[in-house]
Amino acid sequence: MDFSAVGAAAAEALTLASFIGIGGGVLLGYIVGVIPGLSRSVAISIAIPMTFYMSPFIAISFLIGLSKGTAAGSAVSAILLNAPGEASSAATSLDGYPMAKNGKPKTALQVGLIASVLGDILATIILIFVAIPFARVALLFGPYEMAAILAFALVFIAGLSGGNIFKGLAAGGLGIFLGTIGLDNQTGLPRLTFGYTELMDGMPLIAVAIGTLALSEMFIQSEKLRYDRENMSVALKKDSSDRITWPIFKTIFPTILRGTGVGTFVGALPGLGPSVGSFMSYGMTVKAAKDPETFGKGNPKGIAASESADNAVIPAALIPLFGLGIPGNVSAALLIGAFAIHGITVGPLLLRDNPELLYSIFAGMILASVIMLVLGWYGLMVFAQITRVPPHVVIPIVIFFCLAGMVLQGYGTFGLVILMAFALLGYLMKKYDYSFVTFLVAFIITPMLELNLRQSIILSRGNWEILLGRPIAMFFIACTAIALIALIIRTFRKEKPLAEVPAD
Amino acid sequence: MKRRHILTASAAVCLLMTASLGHAEGWSPERPMTMVIGFAAGGSTDIQGRVLARSLEEYFGQPVNVVNQPGGGGAVALTRFLNVEPDGHTFMFGVQLGLTFSPIVTETEYDIDDFRYAGTLVGGQFGVVARGDAPYQSFEELVAYGRENPMTYAQQLPMDQAIMQLIADQEGIDLAIVPTGGGGGMAPLLLGGEVDFAFSGGTHAQYTPTGEMNVLAFLTRERSPFYPDVPTLVELGYPYAMDDFRSFFLPGGSPDEIVQAFEDAARFAVEHPPFVETTVENTLHPIVFMDAVETEATIREIRAANEALMAN
Repeated sequence: MDFSAVGAAAAEALTLASFIGIGGGVLLGYIVGVIPGLSRSVAISIAIPMTFYMSPFIAISFLIGLSKGTAAGSAVSAILLNAPGEASSAATSLDGYPMAKNGKPKTALQVGLIASVLGDILATIILIFVAIPFARVALLFGPYEMAAILAFALVFIAGLSGGNIFKGLAAGGLGIFLGTIGLDNQTGLPRLTFGYTELMDGMPLIAVAIGTLALSEMFIQSEKLRYDRENMSVALKKDSSDRITWPIFKTIFPTILRGTGVGTFVGALPGLGPSVGSFMSYGMTVKAAKDPETFGKGNPKGIAASESADNAVIPAALIPLFGLGIPGNVSAALLIGAFAIHGITVGPLLLRDNPELLYSIFAGMILASVIMLVLGWYGLMVFAQITRVPPHVVIPIVIFFCLAGMVLQGYGTFGLVILMAFALLGYLMKKYDYSFVTFLVAFIITPMLELNLRQSIILSRGNWEILLGRPIAMFFIACTAIALIALIIRTFRKEKPLAEVPAD
Repeated sequence: MKRRHILTASAAVCLLMTASLGHAEGWSPERPMTMVIGFAAGGSTDIQGRVLARSLEEYFGQPVNVVNQPGGGGAVALTRFLNVEPDGHTFMFGVQLGLTFSPIVTETEYDIDDFRYAGTLVGGQFGVVARGDAPYQSFEELVAYGRENPMTYAQQLPMDQAIMQLIADQEGIDLAIVPTGGGGGMAPLLLGGEVDFAFSGGTHAQYTPTGEMNVLAFLTRERSPFYPDVPTLVELGYPYAMDDFRSFFLPGGSPDEIVQAFEDAARFAVEHPPFVETTVENTLHPIVFMDAVETEATIREIRAANEALMAN
């Protein structure tokens, strides 16, 4: 490791501007996380246009801080409201809400916060120590390997997110189809642009992301508003015995370590989101416990298991992103877009060409964890109040930010029309249970997949035998085939999906 | 073709001289101005444009707002630019490829005659690169190697592909050409050893100082000031060139005095240290000045050359 670069990175991470940027990101993320119905990817897609005028380091750290904040904030509403702010905190409410009802709301919140922060810091450290050596060997991943990994990721996401593999593949197919619009990357000829110069660079990513993720979600939320009455939030009272103690911390610490391990593993695999991580960690903790019957009734270990894994996924999803430029989930995919806006190509050469930037981002991520701890600890009362903000206030504000973010892109009225079209598409997909996550990830990785596939075919000169000398590519092709067959069999048996993977 | 290459050091004295000239006579803006950039925020055109906007504020004494209209390599911005009032308050810091190349491969609503051109500020440095440890250290050696071995080439634009295909046919090289989707995609392919040589629009500047990449030849008409020893293809005996410059574009029908004012502004900016430093050091592009007449002539010349090339 280049220590002068590390020193410079630490110095950059400790400026006032970065404190404001990262702190602002964490705070915003916390608020978004607390409000049920406002999810992480919604927040990131709306926030990307806000970063146009920040330096690349602050912009990326701001967005990562935002992701981390949502993961920690979502525990607040899961515990006090029994309605997780993020789907990935659903497992937190299993024990968090009963604990709050039993008169220990503050202890529950503190356990959630400490598990979040520790999971986050440990996973960030793992990211730093894995990503750097990984980036060194990442040049071994040529077009053959990249194409195989991308195909694997697509099938995996399609299978996990919908339950029905055919619906998942249909959603992915639509994403691939829309992803091919624009100039052909070799001949420069326009494809499916129908004479619109605006479409020459493809469907604008921000319009597709904000439309299918954020705006359509607001339609769904406002629809719910008509039928649902609000849950009552558990109020925090002054009670000096209601706080985390050293014995409680000692009992949950091993759980946090396990949760971090599970979360990091799940996060590093392309296609698996925090929801899988938190439920897997919760399940493993219950299995390993001597007293499994206490879970679901307010066991702090349940909160710690879910929250540590939930937060660990976020830094871990950056391992394939920084190493190969392949996104681990939707939030990471949106980060690729954010890097591109700032003129940086994410991939194997990022560490080589922009080491200061990468080290600064790592330093910024650690700083974000610390800010998260401070904000969460002292802001508990305030964030608890946010659980009471009614949706009819939240929804119009979010819609405004959706539209403003699109206008900032500079596509004019055309962009707004596209945005509305994708909001409608996202709404219908959610209504009819087609995975919009699969759709969006397919849309984002299609240009990459197409390019690598084309390169492989041309470089191999049509000779299949070249794959024999490419064990990594062979491995992922085999995995893709096995996953596809397994998922088809599962669909026909109508088994329950492995886990629900909502937008994360 | 007369042209001055100006590097960082030369500028300080000139700044004092030109700053006092300011807008002494002729046209000057009456209200804040808008600079259109046909690329997304963060790219090299955007970075240069935003610093250029500061230089122009100093020169014109009016705020200059930057508006990004990305899409189609500048084609979206040029299409919208058709409807702009020719009063000098809205202008474009444009990449010529949108005029010299896009109209050839796709139907555009605009063409060269729809705009006026008021001075060039930045040049391109398109080149052919290979790995530093490749068995060929010059373009001649590459050709000799290629006659014996099948080779792979990473393209970025249809034009560089056309040029390499012509050379390969002429020299009897068995060449497979792959797309890369830009300089960010080219570097891992070349450094990872997947391709033998590649086109570079400027990415090489990051890798030549460490010896990881070698520029074998430039596709431009003139040698790059940063690599004075590397020959151009024309010098090597292949009659093909590919050039691109960044210039001020004005709406068609702009009066001569406004064109003159922007030509003077370009003259000021290419000697204004912040713009020169950013362009040369941050975005690794050479400063190239051309006046209004030469800019338009160059655009037409490059367009004709590209048409001839793509007709093959």
